[in-house]
Amino acid sequence: MGIPSTPLTVALRDLYGEEFARIEREFRATSNGRVATECRASLLDRIILDLSREFLEPQPDQLKKISLVALGGYGRKELFPHSDIDLMFLFEDSDAERRYREGTQAIGRALWDLRLRVSPTPRLLSECEKFQRDNPEFNIAALDSRYIGGDRELFERLRHKFLPRMIDAAGSDLLRDISELTEQRHRKEGDTIFHLEPNLKNSPGGLRDYHVAWWVGLISKMQKAGRWATQEDVWPANARKDMDSAFDFLAAARCFLHFRRGRDDNALSYELQAAAAARGIGVENRRALEPAEWMRIYFRHARAVYALCTQLLDEALPSSSKLRARLQGWKSRRAHPGFSLAGVRLSVLDPASLREPQRLMDVFRYVASQGVKLSREAEDQIRETLPGAFQSPWDPAALWSNLREILLAPYAAEALRAMHSSGLLVRLFPEFGAVDSLVMRDYYHHYTVDAHSFMAIENIHRLRSPERDWERPFANLFTELEEPELLFLSLLFHDVGKGMACEDHVAGSLQAIERVFTRLDLKPDQADTVRFLIRDHLAMSASLLRRDIFDPGTIRAFAEQVGTPERLKLLGLFTYADIRAVNPEALTSWKAESLWQLYVLTSNYLSRSLDEERFHANAEPADLQFVDRIFPLLAKGASREELASFLEGLPRRYLFAHSAEEIAAHFEMARRLKEKDVQLRLELRGPIYALTLLATDRPFLFAGVSGTLASWGMDIWKAEAFANAAGVVVDTFHFTDPHKTLELNPSELARLEKNIENVLSGAIPVETLMRGRDAAHSNSQPKVNVATQIRFDDGSSPHSTLMEIVTQDRPGLLFRLGSTLANFGCNIEVALIDTEGQRALDTFYLTFGGAKLTPDTQERLRIRLLTEG
Amino acid sequence: MMRIEAIIQPSRFESVKEALHQIGVEGMTVSEVRGHGRQKGHTETYRGREYEVDLLPKIKIEMVLPFNLVDGAVQTILKTARTGKIGDGKIFLSKVDEAIRIRDEERGEGAL
Repeated sequence: MGIPSTPLTVALRDLYGEEFARIEREFRATSNGRVATECRASLLDRIILDLSREFLEPQPDQLKKISLVALGGYGRKELFPHSDIDLMFLFEDSDAERRYREGTQAIGRALWDLRLRVSPTPRLLSECEKFQRDNPEFNIAALDSRYIGGDRELFERLRHKFLPRMIDAAGSDLLRDISELTEQRHRKEGDTIFHLEPNLKNSPGGLRDYHVAWWVGLISKMQKAGRWATQEDVWPANARKDMDSAFDFLAAARCFLHFRRGRDDNALSYELQAAAAARGIGVENRRALEPAEWMRIYFRHARAVYALCTQLLDEALPSSSKLRARLQGWKSRRAHPGFSLAGVRLSVLDPASLREPQRLMDVFRYVASQGVKLSREAEDQIRETLPGAFQSPWDPAALWSNLREILLAPYAAEALRAMHSSGLLVRLFPEFGAVDSLVMRDYYHHYTVDAHSFMAIENIHRLRSPERDWERPFANLFTELEEPELLFLSLLFHDVGKGMACEDHVAGSLQAIERVFTRLDLKPDQADTVRFLIRDHLAMSASLLRRDIFDPGTIRAFAEQVGTPERLKLLGLFTYADIRAVNPEALTSWKAESLWQLYVLTSNYLSRSLDEERFHANAEPADLQFVDRIFPLLAKGASREELASFLEGLPRRYLFAHSAEEIAAHFEMARRLKEKDVQLRLELRGPIYALTLLATDRPFLFAGVSGTLASWGMDIWKAEAFANAAGVVVDTFHFTDPHKTLELNPSELARLEKNIENVLSGAIPVETLMRGRDAAHSNSQPKVNVATQIRFDDGSSPHSTLMEIVTQDRPGLLFRLGSTLANFGCNIEVALIDTEGQRALDTFYLTFGGAKLTPDTQERLRIRLLTEG
Repeated sequence: MMRIEAIIQPSRFESVKEALHQIGVEGMTVSEVRGHGRQKGHTETYRGREYEVDLLPKIKIEMVLPFNLVDGAVQTILKTARTGKIGDGKIFLSKVDEAIRIRDEERGEGAL
């Protein structure tokens, strides 16, 4: 109920209307939100003083034992056009409260009558000294208390005696409440600044976070220095500049929203983004921008505000950090001699050392492995040191080694975010700058392009602990990858083309990745894989959404595009991570299951179609592309016809699985078969040895090689056996050396090669070599029992019967399988050998007497394998 | 008013949606569903593990239209969703007694 209109209230209503209109006009002319909010606060001061003259005392400065105090945003003189007004009537004691009760109530009613949303709060001075556990909002609002009128000495006691006492006694409680309120608000907003239509006040990185940083700064300064912080020293100098410009932008945008909507509505809708961008709200010189560009500015400011807000909270309350609570095994975290930790925030003990690239990367390797965050000082130190760290070019091998380690570590995404935030990522890869805070303006994408890329990487690492049933197959797939770092590298750069002036963002990303390659020491086949993933990163989702995945034609076309099982695994996981990073609901269980079905169908096609998908230079003109690619790498004297003849009849999978350089080397080995009928090439690739063997086909060849390797204690985890139309076998065995025999005795390499040659020539029976090995392993027990499954398939190949075996992996298994098949009279046309933990997963393309196996032969072979295996 | 419920192949969805827009049908509800009719599922193996593919992915489109648009919409779906293979889906039609727009409580075809 309002009070009857008096000449004063009528005059004040007119005054408020006229002044509010003036403030709006000036804002339209200048878009200066800071000035607009200050002007509205001053206008309210004037109105409240006029009312206090009417209802309390004609001379407000003569008032005793009562003070008129602005709180919260009004106290800070940041009163947005339609924000609530927090006003406190502060009384010396109960007598004063009784004496002025009627007058203060009349002021409150008059303000409501002016249609101002006021929250008048009467408080005794003594109440302001206490921490109000059930109403921390009051204590927080009191931090921003400002004198309007009345007893100044009373206000000064509040400001410089009672509130400091409250902070002294309960500052930590207040900080904890601020932290909890902030965490609740962030959680409600999805814990990300990257909202399609953010709330300027409540979204992470918005104005409320700005004020949280301000309150934490005020309380900390009072606790440490016993005085109130000022605008100049509440934050470190380098953060203040960013925060000031963030406030200018956010304040302008919020004023714009309030004036446009006529109410306290802070949702930055699409429509208002476009309107604000067209008017250059918050932008230097008020130049008109595209909405996406304007939002990019918003996100940059929000990122700065969010970073300082969370950093200050972590520093003020190291023990209550949610990050710390999240980390398991906290006490066992690996210490690092170069860093110290306060809670979850890392500080660098010797900042000068950051000028060395390796020390700089040590910081982010540690963040990636331990999940800690950079302290504000560490981030500033890194930013300041960057120019010095880039005086000389970085060594590509060292950079790739460090980046690889970061990408593979469980908190890779957090490390990359920290590298981006400190400016290092763009210094290393200027290409990434194109997508810094870049918004995709559609209803599908929720995050900026840089955030999407980090989130995609995070989605893969989260597969380490799958939570939903439909995540589990992808989690298993992740463990099968040979070089997961290539997946992560591709995810990091797959969308940088979106920030480039290209019609097709994939083409832009491919251009950018070539420049990235110049700074990283990737092998040619690794670079090829990254190119493939970026070029075809939309292929799997396109097949999923626009093709019938149960149509064999779809599977065949997709399999041809992918080429090899390893690339299929990489692309399957890429697609999973990419879709899931678009928005929280983008990867439904329906899509994930469909994606998995497409993966399985294609994987099976790749392993069951080798007989059909072979190189034929005459029948398939497209196959000549392979010749064109490999021929320039051959030694002088070789002809295209010779090369085509070597490739004739080899499965296309062989051509996709090996680089042109490798195939050229195999060709040269095949040419040397005339001089020596077994050609071997042994290479060490990281921890894996790769043995390539070329020979004319003969019985027991596969069993002989696998038996020799097993007799040396080598653990074969993957192998492929192919043959061309001329009967030249190209076998590849990937194995580890668990006893380090070859590493500790390099001369043994030659003896191993000689052993293989002798076994294949029949000079040494492989059974003799295996005898000692069998005895050594007769008592070893497997960790997991795997039941043997044998499945025959007559339909997939026109010439062979496929036999898929899943069984317990054990030393010498491949030798025994190969021997049994050879003794039975089967010829291995193709073999694909794989291992998954303790499970051996082997596929053989078999013929018996030059034809497919009859059902009866299959059954006899099954019994023989189960009996002898 | 009639309610049209169409279960179609996911790969045909974009084309069906576009074709419906072209004949003036703009509002629809779309769900990702699984099921099977005569197109029974099958079992797939991957690395020794069996996967039942008995419920196949489909898209369900639902819309309520005034009578004069129903035939056109049905013909459009038939023409656009058909591949000629088992599993192309089904269309179900049912009468709708009333439609009410929640915002302003308008009723009948005007609320569609």
